[in-house]
Amino acid sequence: MTTLAKWPGRIPDTGDSTGVRYVRTVDSPNCTGACGWIAAVKDGVIVDLKQAADYSDTSYNPRGCLRGMSMTQLIYHPDRVKKPLIRVGRRGEGNWREVSWEEALDFVAEKMKSIAARYGPESILFFNQVTGTGYVQKGAQTRLATLMHASYATAYDFNGDISMGYTETLGIDSIESESKAWAKAKTILLWGSNVLQTRIPDARFIVQAQQRGSKVVVISPRADQSAKAADFWLPIRPGTDGLLALSMARVLIEEGLINEAFTRKYTDLPLLVRDDTGQRLRASEVSLGALEAFVAFDETTQALVALTAETLARPPQERLALRGSFQVGIDGKTVTVRPVYERLLAQLLQTQYTPEEAAKVTDIPAQTIRQLARTYATQRPAQIIVGMGVNHRYHGDLAIRAILLLGALTGGFGQPGQSIDVYSGQHHFRINVESWWYPEGKRPNMVPAHYFVMGGPTPTMNPKIHYPAEGFKGFFFSHANPFTTERSTDWDRAIERLELVVACDFMMTPSCEMADVVLPAPTFWEKWELVGTGCHPYLQIQQPIIAPLYESRSELWMMRELAKRIDPAFAPYFDYTEPEVIQMLLREGGPEAEGITFEQLLQGPVRLKVPDPDVPLLEQIQHDKPFPPRAYPHPQGAQRPFLQSGRMEFYKEEAAFQQTEETVPVYKDAWDHLSAPERAYPLALVTPHSKWRVHSTHSNNPWLRNINRKPVIEIHPKDAAVRHIEEGDLVEVYNDHGRFQLWARLTESVRPGVVAVDHGWWSRFLAAGDYHSVVTPERVNPVQEAYYLPAVYAPGQAWKDTRVEIAKVVQSS
Amino acid sequence: MKLGFLVDLQRCIGCDMCTIACKQENGTPADVFFARVLNVEAGEYPSVRRFYLPVLCNQCEDAPCLKACPNKAIFRREDGIVIIDQDRCKGAGACVSACPYGNIYLTSENQWYTPDSPHEAVAKERVKDHVAMKCTYCAQRVDNGLEPACVVACPTDARIFGDLDDPDSKISRYIAEQKESTDREPFGLLEQLGTQPKTRYLAPVNKPEVCLETEGTKEGEY
Repeated sequence: MTTLAKWPGRIPDTGDSTGVRYVRTVDSPNCTGACGWIAAVKDGVIVDLKQAADYSDTSYNPRGCLRGMSMTQLIYHPDRVKKPLIRVGRRGEGNWREVSWEEALDFVAEKMKSIAARYGPESILFFNQVTGTGYVQKGAQTRLATLMHASYATAYDFNGDISMGYTETLGIDSIESESKAWAKAKTILLWGSNVLQTRIPDARFIVQAQQRGSKVVVISPRADQSAKAADFWLPIRPGTDGLLALSMARVLIEEGLINEAFTRKYTDLPLLVRDDTGQRLRASEVSLGALEAFVAFDETTQALVALTAETLARPPQERLALRGSFQVGIDGKTVTVRPVYERLLAQLLQTQYTPEEAAKVTDIPAQTIRQLARTYATQRPAQIIVGMGVNHRYHGDLAIRAILLLGALTGGFGQPGQSIDVYSGQHHFRINVESWWYPEGKRPNMVPAHYFVMGGPTPTMNPKIHYPAEGFKGFFFSHANPFTTERSTDWDRAIERLELVVACDFMMTPSCEMADVVLPAPTFWEKWELVGTGCHPYLQIQQPIIAPLYESRSELWMMRELAKRIDPAFAPYFDYTEPEVIQMLLREGGPEAEGITFEQLLQGPVRLKVPDPDVPLLEQIQHDKPFPPRAYPHPQGAQRPFLQSGRMEFYKEEAAFQQTEETVPVYKDAWDHLSAPERAYPLALVTPHSKWRVHSTHSNNPWLRNINRKPVIEIHPKDAAVRHIEEGDLVEVYNDHGRFQLWARLTESVRPGVVAVDHGWWSRFLAAGDYHSVVTPERVNPVQEAYYLPAVYAPGQAWKDTRVEIAKVVQSS
Repeated sequence: MKLGFLVDLQRCIGCDMCTIACKQENGTPADVFFARVLNVEAGEYPSVRRFYLPVLCNQCEDAPCLKACPNKAIFRREDGIVIIDQDRCKGAGACVSACPYGNIYLTSENQWYTPDSPHEAVAKERVKDHVAMKCTYCAQRVDNGLEPACVVACPTDARIFGDLDDPDSKISRYIAEQKESTDREPFGLLEQLGTQPKTRYLAPVNKPEVCLETEGTKEGEY
């Protein structure tokens, strides 16, 4: 139909609307966006999408980006997995037999039973990512793993999503303000974080703040897309973020910009540490109370006082000493004790932390370091957003501890627009999912996937982790694409050791191609799901907009069918419809979900029962509740062992920290864990996330590839010139670990010495090789093994600590 | 009535949502983009600036495409939107050459993304081969009292649409407010050509600085 408009627009708004159904839903890829959509469906086909723009807080409308808007290109993509597949021939060869569900399920169940009988059920590893799944469908898989006593690896620690610097300091792996709070900030530091590209639905709050006069500082070796909004761009030398932060901390101290009352109340800086042992002084050692309590010196009463982790409330007249050294008698011996602050000061007063010395290493001028520290401390509210560019490093925890110190010294937490937040994945459960995920309070055998990939435990692996005696023999992964985003020779070897590899996905990804069995899942708009996400405080529901395409079936259905084949006793545990599971989750979800009903969610998004605005650490800062905030689905108190003081901790006394001399935040060279040959490669490779994909999802999206046509490596013209590389040249990127080929893009917006390849390209789009093959292989930092709590305290990743060389590919004619 | 379009470049984050929202709404074939975003990089490291310029039809008041069409297939509606009549267009291509902005598309045969997609089939059957096409400010939506698809989709509210003749319209009020609060005046692209574009822009408010001295770097040492 053409009217005066003379262009045939989409049916729902303008054309023939006969027989059109409108369905409200939400997407659930791994971007954490959780954006609401209205789909128009005609004759069982999605014919249009518009953002739902129905959030009760209208500042969030509309919410949704180009990836959600182009979901129709994935749903109807020829690469969809259409039928269950069983491999024929060698793994990865690409030969498949299409089989019935009956045959596929019987095959998988029999194999799993056989593996469990021979090696124990824990030799089967379940691993799933967010894409396409959430509390219900992902939970169905966790539930089966739990019932089977199989192993389960959370994607979040393996992805390096969890920020161990946060866990070590705050007892929780990340904190996140809801994004509208950013608009309140007068100063915004985007520290290795490219939110204008990676948080498109939330980015408006940054540009709005700026439009009202706020200043935005971008700290990144690339003038990335967020540098568009930068009032100041600091092109930092990669891996030196921790030094910049510690130098800023020194400036804050030298210039008297410290909020001492805040540090006394909320941090461990007044806690006394024994000079002889390096251990924090216990109340029991000086007859002040229990072993769990720590000790500080009260300047008002000139006496030692015990501090417990039960509350942060203290008597008003008390003034805990930050400076000084004190003598105490312990077991008849005189011991010198000093506050943590003194130890920190001793560190910061070393020459390397002066702005002048830090400038030489970070390449940020001393005057800029001073100015940045002053601006952060005085132009408030001040918001820091930390990105994975800082975290995905072997010493990423040290850098983040240093950045958190800036907030701790200046009272930089607990207000709208004043926090230090990190947005890195969907690991923060918004509600308690235990009722569905962990039947009868049982847990699967939780193992970080690092050890699976490395083929065995490290000597320093936390003793709480049970690595299967016979190693891993079976691997069930869903909506994960490790053969793109994590591929390494280690991964290849890990797969070679397996008797069974089962992939569950809606798209035939490079990882599915490495499996023995591929189970076709629906996309997230062909099934039910309950969705919550970290930075956006709403619960939302996915409802099947269209019936599952081809022969795809929901994960809950698959797990039900597998469960009854593996053990008939498991069957009753899956005797639920998806809406029933959603209702169970809402009922048992805890205070955040209280009063929220399935019926309400069918109508649209419902704000969680959380403060407005939802700013982290409010309970601590405003209500004296001890740190850490609870991390669902772990029970209350599970985080206490690694945050015994109940305060922000800048002193870690455990042996691993003592041995590595990381008791207080220090700066360490980012490359110090690399071998000499690894270090010798001249270029630092960074792999930023782009707007074109969510990890590797959308790699094959034809609309997005029509704009972002081929993979490029960004390189500075100076670096290109010495290598005789010109714009558009085919180049090889290589080091001792691997190599791949793609095309050169010469740009002034990347720091000389740094090259950048967008994360997540499927290998088939590269000219050759796998982009991840050059990335520094699995390397576990022992301080990150001092405790183990899945997705909270677990080893991180060092993916940004990669060095490479580039050469032009000379094509023979 | 004079429908106009304003892009606040301060708010634009170059996310290409407009590009894709347009595709979803207008069902354009491969390589045809009624809305696009130009990604501009200016200066030399470290004084480099990033800049995004979303472009779409300017619905010029003095439209070169309209004058150039030998088949009188291009007309202006009362609200000022310039339309290429899909039934009258014979694919001569004069408009493509005449448009100084490169915003008109003409191919001999439409190329599509996913041949078997039922979603794409809906668009495919409605878009003719070998006719010139361009942005219409989503006239089909405007006729139904709706704003263009790219405007409602913009996640940073950078695109503002409305009647420039009406001082109370959203666009007129925004222009007045920004004059007051940020002292910015709207401008059009290539105004010196006299086309009188009705797609207007407000410049970014931030004037980026970088740390210019690089005290520590020695050549070749990173």
